Amino acid sequence: MANIFLENSLLFVLTQLVPLLYMVTTVLYGLHFFQETPLAGKFKQPALILTVVTHVADLGLLTSTEGYRLSYSAYNLMGMVALTLAITYMFIELTTKSDKTGFFVIAFAAGSALFSSILSAQSIASGPTFSGLGIGVHLIAAIFGFSSVAIAGLYSGLYLVLFRQIRLNRFGLLFQRLPNLEALELLIMHAVAFGFFFLSVTMVAGVYEQQASTETINLLDPRLISLFVIWFLYGISLFIKPLVGWDIKHMAVLLIALFVLVTILLFIMSLITPSFHGVRI
Amino acid sequence: MNIISVGVNHKTAPIEIRERIALSEVQNKEFVTDLVSSGLASEAMVVSTCNRTELYVVPSMAEVTCDYIKEYLISYKDARKDVRPEHFFSRFYCGTARHLFEVSSAIDSLVLGEGQILGQVKDAYRIAAEVGTAGILLTRLCHTAFSVAKKVKTKTKIMEGAVSVSYAAVELAQKIFSNLSMKKVLLVGAGETGELAAKHIYAKNARNIVITNRTLSKAEALAEELGTNRVLPYESYKEHLHEFDIIITAVSTKEFILKEAEMQHSMSRRRLKPVIILDLGLPRNVDPDVGKLQNMFLKDIDALKHIIDKNLERRRAELPKVKAIIDEELVGFGQWINTLKVRPTIVDLQSKFIEIKEKELERYRYKVSEEELRRMEHLTDRILKKILHHPIKMLKAPVDTADNIPSKVNLVRNIFDLEEPNQSLQ
Repeated sequence: MANIFLENSLLFVLTQLVPLLYMVTTVLYGLHFFQETPLAGKFKQPALILTVVTHVADLGLLTSTEGYRLSYSAYNLMGMVALTLAITYMFIELTTKSDKTGFFVIAFAAGSALFSSILSAQSIASGPTFSGLGIGVHLIAAIFGFSSVAIAGLYSGLYLVLFRQIRLNRFGLLFQRLPNLEALELLIMHAVAFGFFFLSVTMVAGVYEQQASTETINLLDPRLISLFVIWFLYGISLFIKPLVGWDIKHMAVLLIALFVLVTILLFIMSLITPSFHGVRI
Repeated sequence: MNIISVGVNHKTAPIEIRERIALSEVQNKEFVTDLVSSGLASEAMVVSTCNRTELYVVPSMAEVTCDYIKEYLISYKDARKDVRPEHFFSRFYCGTARHLFEVSSAIDSLVLGEGQILGQVKDAYRIAAEVGTAGILLTRLCHTAFSVAKKVKTKTKIMEGAVSVSYAAVELAQKIFSNLSMKKVLLVGAGETGELAAKHIYAKNARNIVITNRTLSKAEALAEELGTNRVLPYESYKEHLHEFDIIITAVSTKEFILKEAEMQHSMSRRRLKPVIILDLGLPRNVDPDVGKLQNMFLKDIDALKHIIDKNLERRRAELPKVKAIIDEELVGFGQWINTLKVRPTIVDLQSKFIEIKEKELERYRYKVSEEELRRMEHLTDRILKKILHHPIKMLKAPVDTADNIPSKVNLVRNIFDLEEPNQSLQ
């Protein structure tokens, strides 16, 4: 089976460049966070913008032969996860003017981009391409939903770390550099709300597409079950605080657990079950 | 032309000596005026704070040495019995400039990076300027020091982070809550410590501050001073504990005023919303077990000192950057001092050429019309300016060492046949 990256040199270069840019951006954010290197502080945001633009160009070139429709593959999914994380974080940084959590989010995005790059070495001329509005919305919403889950999980981790540092009188680097607990709580709650919204859209679009499609979808597909479980738990976590009085510390633990669960499911299923909800590819 | 500084500070003398030699504003004015009017110095300034009394002097004669100035100050304060010259430090020329730059940048302060010293140096200069004892040298020195301090403040983190307990308390509260203006603060105790903490937290936009105190009138007075006008009777404030996000305690008591059971009850009433209790009392006001409650941040003075220590550590790490800025400015100041030495030669050179011009023009005064004379004058001015441009530029050019200046000056003086300069200006 042909590998389209080997047939298109520009696409090949861009595909190699994207993870490299993610890593460079991660290093710049890391240097600025941990060592306050002025040069890193100056170039980190331009590097992030360049990374996002390059990734979008890469994606555009990759899907141009398919009428700009993304095909279902682990390579594309992981790439999209990296891109949505980077875009979501860029939005947070530009709107809140706070760049103190960038390293943690971009590092995760870089991991996804790297994983995606490794998968690109495999033949990827496989999988159904998006052929309708429903499936497109389904997949894009799922990716944004996962990004929200990831961000909520990452920020929950940072919340717990800072909480512990303050409780134990450890007023070191993280105490100095991280945003305050209330700001992190707000970011977590926004991420949860967005996550729930996108996961809901994913489910609605999936049901709509299934009814319109002639393909038989396996309703017992682990991805479907896990999506429903995660959507349900996210829904609960949205209301658990005002109704049951759970504090953000316990919610943070729940959100980290959900993030770990989703990540493991996504990675394992993308590798083990090369199907789209039971549709053989 | 030399500039010297002598003085006592927290590094050279204990507090009794510093107190003995300190000068009030009135004494400061009198002392510097005496020094200059007696002909001992051409310029003089005194920086006098609780931690230092330092003299910056431009002597008028070679006999006025550092030791002479020390003795002069000791006898002015009539402190010969307590204060000895060994309690003083001495600095000369660039050493003086470096010292003032370090003082203004707050790296010579008892608390590294404290924010008051620059204002105190500015006050010292203002006093010297008012009584007319700040001349060209001290003015330039002080303005360079102010510029150094500004650079240090903006380009380094030497002044960042809290270094007092009450500031550290506010810094900690800001690490838990985003917007203090939305939070309700309870201050238990309207004494000096409580007042300071209340003022710091008020400065960070906390407006909902309620004060309680055993003597209600003191609480009312502080509430009025802050402009919050909200007080609670000491007997009943515990009924409202659940309403507060930040509780600051600073009372003098041997027993804990807040116990675990009370705070547990309060936490359940506020549905476990986070609370920070800043216990600034000594002995402590709050039962340490309160800190074990869920979502409760209890911090006493020791915990806040951890923050101060970390901040001081961070400030110390900035010292190399500060010293680099000072070194850079010192080079510029040294070069400016050198230009002072060539200034008389430049003035003589310009005077000589102007004299020649005027003599030559005088010969034509009645031979040409006024309009033509004006044109000739304009032309000669332009020619002179061009002729003198290079020699003046050469004289003003930076030199590696001040020793090179006399040879440059002599060369120009010989070439243009200038008269011997006034020695006092050199």
